[in-house]
Amino acid sequence: MSVPGHKLERMFNPKTTVVIGDKGPNYMWLKNNQPFQEKGGNLYSVQIDESEIKGIEELGFKNYTSLADIPEPIDYAIVAVPRHISPYVLNDLIDAKAASAAFFTSGFAETNEELGIALQKQLTEAAKTANFNVIGPNCMGLYLPKAGIRFSPDVPIADDGVVSFLSQSGTHGIMFSLVMASQGMHLSKCVSFGNAIVLDISDYLEYLIEDPETKIIGLYVEGVKDGARFVRTLKEACRHKPVVVWKGGQTEAGALATKSHTASLASPEPIWEGIMKQCGAISTTSLDETVDVVKLLLNSKPTMGRNLGLMAMTGGQSVSITDAFCKVGFDVPALSEQSYEELGSFFNIVGGSYRNPLDMAGTLQGNTETLKRILTILDADPKIDALIMEQSAMFGARQWRNKPEVLDAMLDTLVEHRNNSQKPFFIVMHPAHEEAFVVEIRQKFAKQKIAVFPNFERAATAAKLALPYCLAI
Amino acid sequence: MTFLELVKHARSENRTLLTEIESKNALTEAGIEATQTILVTSAEDAVMQAETIGYPVVLKIVAFEITHKSDVGGVILNIKNSAAVQDAYRNIINTVENKHPGISIQGVSVQKMIATGTEVIIGMTTDEQFGPVIMFGLGGILVEVLNDVSFRLAPLEQKDAVEMVNEIKARPILNGIRGQTPCDLDALYKMLLSVSTFVTKYSEIKEIDLNPVIATSSGAIAVDGRIILNDEINERTNS
Repeated sequence: MSVPGHKLERMFNPKTTVVIGDKGPNYMWLKNNQPFQEKGGNLYSVQIDESEIKGIEELGFKNYTSLADIPEPIDYAIVAVPRHISPYVLNDLIDAKAASAAFFTSGFAETNEELGIALQKQLTEAAKTANFNVIGPNCMGLYLPKAGIRFSPDVPIADDGVVSFLSQSGTHGIMFSLVMASQGMHLSKCVSFGNAIVLDISDYLEYLIEDPETKIIGLYVEGVKDGARFVRTLKEACRHKPVVVWKGGQTEAGALATKSHTASLASPEPIWEGIMKQCGAISTTSLDETVDVVKLLLNSKPTMGRNLGLMAMTGGQSVSITDAFCKVGFDVPALSEQSYEELGSFFNIVGGSYRNPLDMAGTLQGNTETLKRILTILDADPKIDALIMEQSAMFGARQWRNKPEVLDAMLDTLVEHRNNSQKPFFIVMHPAHEEAFVVEIRQKFAKQKIAVFPNFERAATAAKLALPYCLAI
Repeated sequence: MTFLELVKHARSENRTLLTEIESKNALTEAGIEATQTILVTSAEDAVMQAETIGYPVVLKIVAFEITHKSDVGGVILNIKNSAAVQDAYRNIINTVENKHPGISIQGVSVQKMIATGTEVIIGMTTDEQFGPVIMFGLGGILVEVLNDVSFRLAPLEQKDAVEMVNEIKARPILNGIRGQTPCDLDALYKMLLSVSTFVTKYSEIKEIDLNPVIATSSGAIAVDGRIILNDEINERTNS
């Protein structure tokens, strides 16, 4: 699937990729992109340094000494040459009618020194004159998990990604991709776009609006060059898909840091917030918050409602979960008379409660039929818009480890409930003393598209930001 | 004078700050309700205008170089009769002259005192990245400290104006607390939209500060206002 006729179509769906100027001993760019070759793409090296050519060929890559010799049309080039060589490489790419190039090369305007600024100007003018698609410079370029194009050896190859991420920072682009993967979610496309001398955030965003593979768009932004165009494009994007915008430089000191990082002008935080609301974007402030929001967007049904049914295992947790969600603006109302009647008929109120929030471990006793019964009652209650359940690793982990079938049975019950319910549903499970084991559990749940958050506060913030826009139906 | 004539006039005097009277004329032209404000140059003149406007009145210093009038003793509120107007006029001139010897004073402005209502701020500023931005907040010192204001890019839609007024933390105050009547929210939305239309039409405007706007149960009126112009070379390019 693709966007036929779009100027970035070949770049985002490459058949032939070249790496220009890769260096040993690691040959990082060729190795990063080996999966592209394994998936049937043409991956070539261009290197004129004899000593490097040997290492490249030993690794089994085909090397050319001139771009003009590449037998197929070049869709995407990764340029890793010294900065003073980059204008010549750009000219060769233009002559070879390549569709795009990412310049990993840095040392341009971000250095704030004369030579860097002059080289950037030269590169920009040449590319703009030729209408050539430059990503960067000073960037990590593309990550296309389906095609096998990668900006890091650690990010996964995957066909099922529906989230695309545009990042002004290379680190944040890679971190987002890695953390998403650790939570069982894959990307469709990621662009680290650095100094953005030709292609700017709005260009990529325009493609993602039309890209049928992209269901959710994430952005990491420090500042934009053409503010009016960005607002126009973002507004349009939000009409089509949920857009999560993580803003870097929210404080005065942070804004100062963006100046030396990407030479970005940062608007005062309340102005930025106002513009995000006006555009209809979801505004986030950190990596984890961004990942949490995306997780809920992907795995929950939407609601505009604010009334929650909260299911905790113990009394203390029933208080804490209520505080966390009410602090961000949710309500935990009394249930309907009918719900109370039904719950009252079997609930163990010694050391438990079926008022909302529910304190239910004593009633459940690990029985999935009882769990199903409680979920069904809350699901049918017209006073409740969404259900959130606390699960306790503190109490459960030992048993789940000894008898995995208990955990599996619970998961089956939750999946069945989720499939039959129209209301948002997700889990909060604090890792307690079982950090590593809970990571496994979280991934197991993620495979079944049940979102698990590590604490009430993160879950509450994600719910507040994402619930109205959730995609799962 | 129309707004563009005011701009021309201010620029001929190398000013980017319009006086309160000039600003209010421009606001009125833009359909933004503001108290009628008249320049006088004698105590007798002040009394005559006060009698026409009706008591109580407010007197304020008019001097190009003074941007914060109350800080220099240049504002007297709630003046109830002709004798008090004469005293207030002399008082303002003397205080300002004492604090700023040799300053050029154009005179004193006379306007109606709007007695009761909730003070809010409506403003516009130019953001370097995004251009003209409209602001809304509650008036008063506390709000300044708490930074409880909302922003949206111009041009505003009706829904933006509604959100701006309703998302500030101090929003319950607009419902009327301790027996006050609720504010006319529609009048606030309308004023925000009028400011938006005004700044979208004229790229000459760099900043607007309507502080305070008095919101009552039956309307909203700017009782002080100033407009700052862009340098001629820096005019916004409205797209």
